[in-house]
Amino acid sequence: MGTYIGQSVKRREDARFLKGAGKYTDDIKLPKMTHSAFVRSPYAHAKILSVDISTAKNADGVVAIFTGSDGCNAFGIPTGWQVDFKNGDTMREPKHPLLAIDKIKHVGEAVAIVIAETQAQARDAVQLVEVEYEELPCVTDPEKAMAKGAPQVHDEWTDNRSFDWCIGNDRADVEAAIAGAHHVTEMEFVNHRLAPNAIEPRSYIADYDVNADKYTLYTSTQNPHLIRLLMCAFTLGIPEHKVRVISYDVGGGFGSKIYHYSEEALLTWAAKEVGRPIKWTSDRSEAFLTDAHGRDHKVYAKMGFDKEGMIVGFLADEFCAMGAYLSTFAPAVPTYLHGTLFQGLYTTPLIHLNVTAPFTHTVPVDAYRGAGRPEATYLLERIVSKGAKEMNIDPAELRLKNFIAPFDGVKQPGYQTQVALQYDSGDYHTILKKGLEKVGYDDFRKEQAEARKNGKLLGIGISTYIEACGIAPSAVVGSLGARAGLYEVGHVRIQPTGKVSVFTGAHSHGQGHETTFSQFVADKLGIPMDDVDIIHGDTEHVAFGMGTYGSRSLAVGGSAIMKSIDKVLEKGAKIAAHKLEAAVEDLEYAEGKWTVKGTDKSIGFGDVALTAYVPHDYPEGVEPGLDFSSFYDPTNFTYPFGCHIAIVEVDADTGKVVIKRFVAVDDVGNVINPMIVDGQIHGGVVQGIGQALLEEVVYDENGQMISGSYMDYAMPRADDVPMIETDRTTTPCPHNPLGVKGAGEAGAIGSTPAVVNAVVDALHHLGVTDIQMPVTPQRVWKAMQQN
Amino acid sequence: MQITITVNGKPHTHEVEPRTSLALFLRETLDLTGTHIGCDTSSCGACTVHLDGAAVKSCTLLAVQADGLKVTTIEGMANGNEMHPIQAAFKEHHGLQCGFCTPGMVMTAANILKENPAPSEDEIRHGLEGNFCRCTGYHNIVKSIQHAAGTLNA
Amino acid sequence: MKITGNQSINASPDIIWSKILDPRVMEKITPGIEELEIISEDHYTAISKIKIGPVKGAFKGELTIKDKVENESCVVVLDQKSKIGNAVAEIAMKLVVLDNGETEVQYEGTAKMSGMLATMGQRIIGGVISTLSKQFFKALEKEIESD
Repeated sequence: MGTYIGQSVKRREDARFLKGAGKYTDDIKLPKMTHSAFVRSPYAHAKILSVDISTAKNADGVVAIFTGSDGCNAFGIPTGWQVDFKNGDTMREPKHPLLAIDKIKHVGEAVAIVIAETQAQARDAVQLVEVEYEELPCVTDPEKAMAKGAPQVHDEWTDNRSFDWCIGNDRADVEAAIAGAHHVTEMEFVNHRLAPNAIEPRSYIADYDVNADKYTLYTSTQNPHLIRLLMCAFTLGIPEHKVRVISYDVGGGFGSKIYHYSEEALLTWAAKEVGRPIKWTSDRSEAFLTDAHGRDHKVYAKMGFDKEGMIVGFLADEFCAMGAYLSTFAPAVPTYLHGTLFQGLYTTPLIHLNVTAPFTHTVPVDAYRGAGRPEATYLLERIVSKGAKEMNIDPAELRLKNFIAPFDGVKQPGYQTQVALQYDSGDYHTILKKGLEKVGYDDFRKEQAEARKNGKLLGIGISTYIEACGIAPSAVVGSLGARAGLYEVGHVRIQPTGKVSVFTGAHSHGQGHETTFSQFVADKLGIPMDDVDIIHGDTEHVAFGMGTYGSRSLAVGGSAIMKSIDKVLEKGAKIAAHKLEAAVEDLEYAEGKWTVKGTDKSIGFGDVALTAYVPHDYPEGVEPGLDFSSFYDPTNFTYPFGCHIAIVEVDADTGKVVIKRFVAVDDVGNVINPMIVDGQIHGGVVQGIGQALLEEVVYDENGQMISGSYMDYAMPRADDVPMIETDRTTTPCPHNPLGVKGAGEAGAIGSTPAVVNAVVDALHHLGVTDIQMPVTPQRVWKAMQQN
Repeated sequence: MQITITVNGKPHTHEVEPRTSLALFLRETLDLTGTHIGCDTSSCGACTVHLDGAAVKSCTLLAVQADGLKVTTIEGMANGNEMHPIQAAFKEHHGLQCGFCTPGMVMTAANILKENPAPSEDEIRHGLEGNFCRCTGYHNIVKSIQHAAGTLNA
Repeated sequence: MKITGNQSINASPDIIWSKILDPRVMEKITPGIEELEIISEDHYTAISKIKIGPVKGAFKGELTIKDKVENESCVVVLDQKSKIGNAVAEIAMKLVVLDNGETEVQYEGTAKMSGMLATMGQRIIGGVISTLSKQFFKALEKEIESD
C-alpha cells in the first residue's frame, strides 16, 4: 500500500457534478446551433412506399430535411467483430443505413431527419412528414426467427441466421458423458431482453468548420477514438485527421454508449450539408426504441453429474438475437464473451455450447453490463443450484466440491479451461467460504426452517462467478474476429515544473478515473495527487484509445500509463545521475526523489523535470523533455471472480419478492480505491437485481415495444433494494503491473442468479423448480398455485 | 408570454412559448444546465428543483406555471464555494458516480430532510422513489442522506 | 389485443340497429369522433381525437361496416392513422334480445396498434376502451330516449 493506493480517496470529479457544473453533451451550446428530430417508423417491418416532406419543409424554423436517398447512405454503419459460421463461411452482415431507404427493419428505425432552429420546431415538423408504409409480417423472438417460414428480416439471405457458432469439446463426447451420467439436470429458459437505461439519454452535436475542412463531434460515448475510427473509415469515408470527437461528461453507459450509432454519423454528415452545428438529444421513448439492448437468449441446457455430484459434462444450445442489424460488438457477445466462460469456477471436463444468432425485427442487441458473461453465469449458477436441489446436495457443498483448486498464476500455472481461456489466478473455495460465513449460512438454514413452520417463505441463493475482463490481447481477439486492437494508450507528460498531465484512452462515465488514475500515478511518482491531472475524452488531446468497457480501464488503460511512468523514471534517472554525478545503477527512486544509495545525496522529481526542459547542464546523448506515450497490449484477459448471496422473503399471498440481505464478496485483484470499487459493486448488483426481479423489454406479436417508457419498464428504485454488504478477497492479477482485474461488471454478473436461486429456494418445498425472469409477483404467485 | 421567475434568488423576466417546460426554460433560457432531463414521463427525477421550497419535477411543469414563484436549482444549493451539507455528504460517502441523476437526488434529499429531519433508512428509500440512479445502486445515496441528516441536525 | 364486452340497452334490436348504422348518430355519440364523412354505403372517413394516458393524437382513417345481418350482427373495421401511431381494429357486434326484453350489445374483436400508441399506450388501452365504450353506450341510450 502506498500513500494513495488502497485508500478511499474522495473523488475529485464530484464537485462539478454536485454543483450542477458537469458538462454533458446536451449542456453544450454552439453559436448558430440548430436542433434536430427524427421521423421514425411505427412498424417493425414495412416497405416505405413514399416519403413526402413538402409540407414539413416549409414549416416554421425548418432548416433542412434529409431522407435515406439524400446521399448519407454511401456506406452504412459497420460491425466491429466478425464471427464466422461453423462451416467457415463469413457471417452475414447486412448493410445498416443511416436512414432507412426502402424497407423498415424495426420499430423506431429512422426514416428522415428534420433540422430546425429550435428543438420544438424540429419536433413539430417531424409530425408533418408524411410517410406511406406497407406493413409486413415480423418476428421478434430469436427461436421463432429460425423457424421455417418465419418472416425474413433481410431479403438477401434464405433464412434469418447471421451466423452459427460453437465452442468447447466435441459435441458427441459431451453428449456421451451426459448420457452416461448418474444424474442429468435440464433447463430451458429465456435470458430476457433488457434496456440499458443510462439516465443521460444519448446526445450529439456535430459541427463543421468550412475553412479548416474540419468536423467536430461532441458525443455521449464510452470510446471517442473508436467512434472516430469507425465513422471516418467506414460510415462516412472522411479523413480521420479532419475529425475531432469529444466526449466530456457522460451520464452512464453500461455498454449502450460503446456503439457507433447512426444518429452521430448522420449529424456529422448533415453538419457539412447545412453549414451549421446540429444537436440531437434522444428522449427516453426514443432511447428505448433505439439504444442497443442487452441479453435476449433462448437457452436449452443439460448438465451431467456423477454419483459423487461431480460435473461430468455441460451442454447448451442457444438462440441469441442480434436484432435487425449487427451493432458494433454484437456478434462477440453471445460467442467469445459468453461461451468462453462456460467453465465457470468448475472442473467440468467436457463442455459444448452451440449458438445460433438470428436477425429479428427489433433494435440491435449488443453488450450490456457484463456482456455475455452474465448470461453464462446465470445459466451455470441456476443449473448447478437446480442440480443440487434435485440430487439433494447442499448448493454450497456441490459448488465447493466442483471448484478448481487455488492457483496464483506464478508458482502454480494458470488454469486451462475447455473453452479456450486460461484463467490467470484464483482461489474460489476461500471466496465462497467467506461469503457463507458473512451471510451466516448455517444459521440461516435454521431460521428458514423455523420460518417455514410459520408460513413465512424465506430463501437463500448462492451464485459464484468468474468473468474475463480487460479484453485482449490484440493478436488473440484479432484471431477471434475483432476488427480492432484492444490495447490502450497512456501518455504521461511531465511539465517543466514537475506537474503531471496524464492522457488516457480510457474514458470515464461514472467510474472515477480522474481520482483512481491520479492515485496510482502520484504513488508511483512519489508526488502529491494534486500534482496529477487526468485528461480523457478528446481525440485532439489523447493520441489514441480504445475506451472503456469490459471492466478494462485500470487493467489495460492503467497499465499503459504505468509503462509510460517507467519510461519517465528511466529517463529521469539518467538526468538525476548526471546531476548527482553518480551512476544510474547507484540511484534509487523513492518518495519523489532519486538518492545515491547509502548517501543523503538526492535530487527531487521537480528538479529533474525542470532540468529536462532547461537542459543547460545535461547528460550527453539524452533528448530534452520528459514526455512519454505507451501502448499497452495485455498478454491475457484478467479474471475477477466472486460469490454473491441473496436472502429473500416471498409474500405467500401476493408473490412479491423482497430482498432481505445481499452479500457480495468479490475478488477484483488489487484495489486502488476501495470506496470506488464498492460503489461499482453496489451499482452492478442492483442492475442484476433489476434483471432478476423487475426489468424486461417486451415486444408484442406485431413487433411493437410495449415497455417503452419508465411507466412500463420497471427500473429498480431505492425502495426495491437493500443495503449491499460487500467484502473482498485479493488475488492479484499476475500479468499486469498494478495487479488489478477490473470491477465494473462483477456486480451485474453475480447478482442475478443469486436472487433467482433464492426465490426458487424459498418456494422449493412447494414444488417450484424454476421461475422465468423477471420474477414478478404475478409469476411467483402463478408458480405457487401451479404446484 | 412574459413571465418572471426568481431563480436562486435572482428574478428573471423572459418571453416564453406557453408549452416550454420549466426544465427547458432553466436549461435553455437561463443556461442553468445542472437541471437534467432523463425521461419524458416524469419518472426519473433528474430534473427535480424546488418550487417555493418544495421539490417538483421541472420537466412536467410549464415555465408559465412558475410565473411569480421562487425556484431553487442545484446551482443555488452551495454557498459560494462551500458546498451545502447534502452536497458535502454525497461527496464524502460516494453518493454519485456519473453525476447525471445527482442534481435531482440532492434536491430530493433536501426535500426529504426538510419534511423529516431524522428519517429512517426506509423513509429515505421511500422518499427517493421518484428518482432513478443507474450507477450507485442507491446504497451510497441513502448513506449520504443519513449522514447529511446528522450534519444538518448537529 | 382483444376487445370484448357487452352492454344491455332498454330498446329493441331494430332501434339500436338503426341508430348504430346512422352515420350522423354515430358521429354524435362516439367519443372522440369529430367527423364521419360518407364515402359509400357503410364506408366512411373518420376523423377523431383521442387521449390515451400520456399520448394524445388526432386520428384519420376509414371505418367500414361489413357482414351485415339486419337487426342482428355486423363487423366494424376501423383503420386509423395518426402521428403517434396507427390502430387497426376489427370488431364483431351482435344484438341479442334478453329475457327481460332488453337488448344486449355484444362485441368481440382485436385491435392492433403501432408506434408510440403501442409503446406508451398499450398498457392502459384496455381501460381507455372500457371508458370510451361506457361513454358510447350512455350516449346511445340517451339518443334512443330522446326520440
